[in-house]
Amino acid sequence: MLQVRKNRLWKLALILLLSAGGVSLILFSLNSKLDLFYTPSEMLQADIKPGYRIKLGGMVKTGSIIRNGTKLNFLVTDFSKDVAVTFDGIPPDLFKEDSGVVILGYFLNNIFEAEEIFAKHDENYMPPELNIAEVKI
Amino acid sequence: MIGEIAHFLSLSAAVLFGLILIFNFFFYFGKASPNQLVLSTRLFNQACWLVFFSFGIYIYLAINDDFSIAYIASHSNTQLPVFYKITSIWSAHEGSMFLWIVFLIAWSILFIKSLDQNHPLKKLTLLMLSLIILGFLLFLLLTSNPFERILPFGALEGADINPVLQDPALAIHPPMLYLGYVGFVISFSFITAYLVNGNFSLQWEQDIKSWSLVAWIFLTIGIALGSWWAYYELGWGGYWFWDPVENVALMPWLAATAFMHSLFASSKSNVLKAWTMFLGILIFSLSLFGAFIVRSGIIDSVHSFANDPQRGLYLLTFSGLISLFAIGVFAYRLPALNSSNLVVTGSKESFLSMNNILMITSIFSIFLGVTYPLIIESIYSEKVSIGPPYYNSIFAPLILIAAIFIMISIDALWQRRMSFRTFILSILTPTILSVLTIYIIWKITNVFSVLAFIGILSGLLILFSYSIKIITNFIDKKYINKGSAISHIGLGVLFLAISLNSILSYEKNLNLAPGQSIVINDSLKDFSFKSIKVLEASNHDVISAEVSVIQDNRSLSLNPQKRKYTTRGQITSESAIKASVLKDTYLTIGDQLDNGSWTFSLKINYFIKWIWLSVAIMVFGMLLTIFKNKTS
Repeated sequence: MLQVRKNRLWKLALILLLSAGGVSLILFSLNSKLDLFYTPSEMLQADIKPGYRIKLGGMVKTGSIIRNGTKLNFLVTDFSKDVAVTFDGIPPDLFKEDSGVVILGYFLNNIFEAEEIFAKHDENYMPPELNIAEVKI
Repeated sequence: MIGEIAHFLSLSAAVLFGLILIFNFFFYFGKASPNQLVLSTRLFNQACWLVFFSFGIYIYLAINDDFSIAYIASHSNTQLPVFYKITSIWSAHEGSMFLWIVFLIAWSILFIKSLDQNHPLKKLTLLMLSLIILGFLLFLLLTSNPFERILPFGALEGADINPVLQDPALAIHPPMLYLGYVGFVISFSFITAYLVNGNFSLQWEQDIKSWSLVAWIFLTIGIALGSWWAYYELGWGGYWFWDPVENVALMPWLAATAFMHSLFASSKSNVLKAWTMFLGILIFSLSLFGAFIVRSGIIDSVHSFANDPQRGLYLLTFSGLISLFAIGVFAYRLPALNSSNLVVTGSKESFLSMNNILMITSIFSIFLGVTYPLIIESIYSEKVSIGPPYYNSIFAPLILIAAIFIMISIDALWQRRMSFRTFILSILTPTILSVLTIYIIWKITNVFSVLAFIGILSGLLILFSYSIKIITNFIDKKYINKGSAISHIGLGVLFLAISLNSILSYEKNLNLAPGQSIVINDSLKDFSFKSIKVLEASNHDVISAEVSVIQDNRSLSLNPQKRKYTTRGQITSESAIKASVLKDTYLTIGDQLDNGSWTFSLKINYFIKWIWLSVAIMVFGMLLTIFKNKTS
């Protein structure tokens, strides 16, 4: 083989190796840092490791909000199962009974410890799964 | 009636743009006469003006509360000040798309005007622009018509603009952002025209340089304004959430930044020609991808407009075809696109191209982060989301490598290999100074986070190396590229501010009754909640808390509010922010408990104002560069 070709081959191999390395690092990072989304029923059935950050989506159950100092306890429902949520802090303005929420946090001993509560700009927002759920009722 | 005139003007414009395309298509293969171009240009200008008039009438209708037009009826209100009646036009999908097109046309008509009548690429550029404009006009008129009437009788009162959008920063955020997004249509069309034309002896860089730099400024300001608004209006106390819609704005920004850098190299030393063209095409393609993500509602985000598959399909098809066409022509011409020079290892261009690769890597990572949830959902039907930890872990190492290359490149020369001695000398002092400073920061703050310290190191390396360069060049009375130095210093300040903000800031949730006061920490010796006042404003009721704080022996009074808007019944929080040089004291009021006490969220945000200051520095540096480019 010509020397030029040999060099070219080495360069190509190096580029491929580096890009493959880069892509696998990114993919690894993606897989270790993504947050899985659950509805209350799915969350109670799934085997969730403690310390694994996940998202819970559903409706805030009517009459379930209990405030205690800066602590906030409430139930998130998908109209078949409920999950108890505890949160320390001020929820967003659109957080209210009987409206949709998405919560980021950890599930431990059947209680969901919320790190962050998301509410949408849109006051009619509802997690996509529940749109279907409500039609069935 | 007036509404129908505006509608008709836009329709006629679409027909004219169509005519330009058909007319030129049939005559393209024949002998092109000079008249043909004159006629096309004239038609093009007239079509553009029709859209401007149409938009002007639309503004008039919005100011005069014409609620027979469905869009105005559902986004404006007679109670609004005139300023917000106008800005309500771009508060939702249809109107903002209209504004997007108006800007697209404004850039196009100015650029076409700037090209000499004999410019060999004028006709093809004009056709490319007409095609893009026509595609978006049809999108507007067919799938998101802002002129739609409520028949037979209009509404008596409008539904009002969402109160969180009644804000000066947010009123100018979309126009700035759109001006940036669509500004890159110029490099896109011009480069595509160049590639189709196939005469590669032509110089093309200088024709689009200033245009791209100006578009970059708009895009930068637009993104910064959005983040500033989110900080003070949404009450979360954050400035960047790695939300999909923020990400689709960051991707064209990174591509544009990479493009400018390689454009400088390409016009200076005839290298990286093909690569620069590719980037020029990529920016607008990413803008189109962004428009698709935001306007199709395919990804759930705080920004996304109503979910409409028809719009999504149209946008995906149209932007896909346009981008594929440009990339296809590029690929076809690639073998012929030889740069006359090669990049010399160790030259300024070589470091610049390394950073170009880093920027492309970050764009790719963001792209994966945005689309991965979609891929996972369609394959495994599991819902996942990608949050800040992913982006932070990707960006920290990338910006460190970028900072190192920036540091080395300062002393590197164009087209010449850097000597080993200069290389060592240029990195030695900044590195030692940065490491020392990091040690001092660590001793003072007593906190450690790998990612944040990588960010601090990156910022310091850039700041020290540029400061040293500026001082030594000033003493030796040597030339320094001021625009570039200032912009990069802005970047250093940005890295530093973001990283320090992430390790120093803290948050306390409080529960106090009126009249109660507490000690928070050594810096906040007294936090007293004096009283609650209930006020009434023109279109909302206000609950306002009177809080006084003694912070670092300074007495501050803070009035966080909750507002209830009468027309929509929506509740918003107005945070109270008191800024000092180093930190912001940010207080939000929560709810009242059964025992009469209230909850508060107190955030101490360090260096947060420096983030926007750094953006201002970058923009200032870019303005100097544009000015220099214009005069030379």
